Amino acid sequence: MVIFSLGIIRGIVGQIVGTAVGLILVTLIRLLMGLPAWKAEPAMIIGALIGAVGFMIGVGALSDWFKWMGGKETPMHHGPPTDKPAWTRYFSVDYNHKVIGVQYAVTGILLVLVAGSLALIFRTELAQTGLQYIEAATFNTLFGMHGIVMIAGILLGVGGMINYLVPLMIGASDMAFPRLNAFGFWINVPGAILVISALFMGGWDTGWTGYPPLSVLAPMGVQAFMLGVYLVGISSIVGSANTLVTVAKMRAPGMSWFRMPIFVWAAVATSIIQLTATQLIGLSFLMVTVERVLGMGFFNPVLTAHAIEVGSPPGNVVLFQHLFWFYSHPAVYVFILPGLGIISELLPVFARKPLFGYKWIALSSLAIALVGFLVWAHHMFTAGMEPFLRIPFQFATMLVAVPTGVKFFSWVGTIWRGKLEFPTPMLFVLGAISVFLIGGLTGPPNGTVTTDLYLHDTYWIVGHFHATMFGGFIFPFFAALYYWFPKATGRMYNERLGKLHFWLILPGFWVQSLGQIAVGLLGMRRRIADYDPALGIQNGHVWITVAGYVIGLSVLVMIYNLAWSARKGPVAAANPWRSRSPEFQIPSPIPEHSYAEAFVITGEPYDYGLPGATYVAMNPSAAPAAAD
Amino acid sequence: MEKKKSSALRQSFNVFLGLAVLTAVEYGVSFIEFPTVALFIIGLFKAGLILNYFMHVGLLWSDGGKHK
Amino acid sequence: MSASAISQAEYEQQESANRLGLWLFFASEAFMFAGLLVARFYLWGDTRPHLDQAVALIITAVLLLSSYSMNRAEVMIAHDDRKGFLNSLLITAALGVVFLIGVIGFEWQGHIRPTDGAFGAVLYGMTGMHALHVVSGIVFIFIVWNNGRKGHYSADRHWGVHACAVWWHYIDLVWVFFYPALYLIGTAQ
Ligand code: HEM
Ligand SMILES: [Cu+2]
Repeated sequence: MVIFSLGIIRGIVGQIVGTAVGLILVTLIRLLMGLPAWKAEPAMIIGALIGAVGFMIGVGALSDWFKWMGGKETPMHHGPPTDKPAWTRYFSVDYNHKVIGVQYAVTGILLVLVAGSLALIFRTELAQTGLQYIEAATFNTLFGMHGIVMIAGILLGVGGMINYLVPLMIGASDMAFPRLNAFGFWINVPGAILVISALFMGGWDTGWTGYPPLSVLAPMGVQAFMLGVYLVGISSIVGSANTLVTVAKMRAPGMSWFRMPIFVWAAVATSIIQLTATQLIGLSFLMVTVERVLGMGFFNPVLTAHAIEVGSPPGNVVLFQHLFWFYSHPAVYVFILPGLGIISELLPVFARKPLFGYKWIALSSLAIALVGFLVWAHHMFTAGMEPFLRIPFQFATMLVAVPTGVKFFSWVGTIWRGKLEFPTPMLFVLGAISVFLIGGLTGPPNGTVTTDLYLHDTYWIVGHFHATMFGGFIFPFFAALYYWFPKATGRMYNERLGKLHFWLILPGFWVQSLGQIAVGLLGMRRRIADYDPALGIQNGHVWITVAGYVIGLSVLVMIYNLAWSARKGPVAAANPWRSRSPEFQIPSPIPEHSYAEAFVITGEPYDYGLPGATYVAMNPSAAPAAAD
Repeated sequence: MEKKKSSALRQSFNVFLGLAVLTAVEYGVSFIEFPTVALFIIGLFKAGLILNYFMHVGLLWSDGGKHK
Repeated sequence: MSASAISQAEYEQQESANRLGLWLFFASEAFMFAGLLVARFYLWGDTRPHLDQAVALIITAVLLLSSYSMNRAEVMIAHDDRKGFLNSLLITAALGVVFLIGVIGFEWQGHIRPTDGAFGAVLYGMTGMHALHVVSGIVFIFIVWNNGRKGHYSADRHWGVHACAVWWHYIDLVWVFFYPALYLIGTAQ
């Protein structure tokens, strides 16, 4: 059957078979132990885990490793498929980082679409007071699902940019560990399937944060959600390790750390967070899991009689929040650092001027990542946390604003008196800055204890983080899609549709975000299906909902544009933006092994507009000796 | 070769001995009034021995590739 | 890592990338283990349950012995002593199994149950997570042993052995911190 030549189909079959094996296994074990045969949750957990392994075996992500374990050797590189049409490689395990980058990005966009559609459903409900279309329980599941699927989509989008761009920008032939790279992408697929399957297991009502005790008591859907997140987390960890090794070991000759494209710095900072912090959300979700199925009371304040007899102290729900936010605050920088890197990467190209303060920008990414580890408890000011922690975390939070401010200064300094051009990517970059400003300015009031006591859990917070994520990820990601589209496909997107996309989403987003902030200040709680008409915020909600639909429409315009242009668009030049970056010095679309010949770095990356400045010498034998 | 090997094996044994002694010390220290800090410091010493001699953490920096 | 056709220089380059990757993974895992330690200190404070000190000391000694024999295995393959290498691996794995028996067969049969509040949760959480890693280490040893038996690895090229050994030592390293945290620090209730 020809369809089984697609890895993803085999993978899904593998996941179904694996899940069935897990269900049967648990049932058999319970029978042998003399327990009632069927218990849904343990069976589901083991089924989900074996199902994930089944997917990875089916898709073929483990094949080479199995051979290595048996002492067999495999070729270091696999080219494009020879016995199948070229497009099939995108649906199967492929080791080329450019293919994997596209797989990441496209899957990310798909997840963002799913999550966005869920949001439109519950936004429609919120446009009027009272309950019209969905029940409260469904509403709860929908916003939790919206949040976590968006996060997964963003993580995949980030993975797409890093995997596609980093090796190209540093002149590496591929990532350091191509098989691990493929594994890191594919593990997301069973993860996403699991998360979405929570819909059919009763959903859950904790939102994306999964706080106990609610998550310990919630329907089984919460378990599917947590296991799915666990798999996506594995992807973050192996992907970031791969990125760090690639950057550390595989840079082109002459590319010292301070001659790397700025996006690579952002990728390094992002990877440091992903590598380390991700373990803590995994651990916290694992603790909830064992509390649910084994009764291990990490978070349970109530003691059994036997526990009192052995003198045990009780569990504590606040511990969960510490562990959870130790990841989930740094995680917000995972979402935005690559996007901010894209902004810094593109601004000099379209301002035809050097990037203002390269070293400061490079180090500010690192500083944000590191200081970001010290602020997590600003999410817990109202949680009953130890009171003496409040002030230190307030001040640490304010400290993050410093490196973020550095970036803003650099952007303004780069734009200042530049010869600006305004193709679609540049519009999205400028839009990103304006939107990120809203997000950045609404942050410090949340980090200040006195104001946060009022703002916490209101729609203000919703406005805050949507603005940071749109400004820090969505807008720059779209800019990157348009900017590297001609490089990846060899064809140009339609500029008019691109501009239409931009002029729909920018005002749409402003209205949505400012609307959320406004209704929040007027008393709208977050994660609530209904509100009191006496608050006088129904008009605000209508605006937010309509703006949401406009944003959704604009994204459809983009997808149409890119899908159509990839096949029918005009053929693109090798370097349509007159970029100095190495990947623009080779043909479009980029050949299978990127660089025919190793290049040498002979100058600074962002010396746009400086006569005689060189960066990449594509033909090193003919170029002047490399200066390091 | 043989000589190098036996000296490497001797080092291995010495490290093992050091770790064993430190573990015994840990157990003894646990009977004093507030052992936490002392235990932590001894733990760091043990970790240092393992990292340096058993795990060859230095190879990360001096990376010629080989460990002999 | 694969393809014997590559030159020694290429092999060493690949090995140095592999090594960095492995250590980054250690750094990642360290955060998870540190999270468990945080849970222990957050929930137990300066108390701890009454546990069998003899069992704890014995399994700690066994794990340390296994680390020693693992180091011997690596020294031996680095000097082309294949027989000693294979034997040391088997001894290591056997000691690992003894450690597991100690944890599951003795430690977990004490009077503390998993459902016993913070004592049960943390005790079983920490020893369970650690035991899971020991199991992975034993599987790894078996794979390396099997390949070694078939004649793979040499004094110049044995990254697989090195990775396995370092992984095993890492698991021991975790126990260096878990042992005092579980058994020695705080007053027993
Ligand atoms: C100037 C910098 C920033 C400051 C001072 C700041 C501060 C805060 C604080 C204190 C909260 C907790 C509010 C509460 O629940 O009461 C919060 C929530 C949040 N922030 Fe920020 N933030 C900043 C930038 C960002 C950025 C760049 C992102 C990235 C995308 C982000 C994403 C979020 C998210 C997702 C939440 C909500 C988490 C939840 O409860 O579900 N923030 N922010
Ligand atoms: Cu935060």
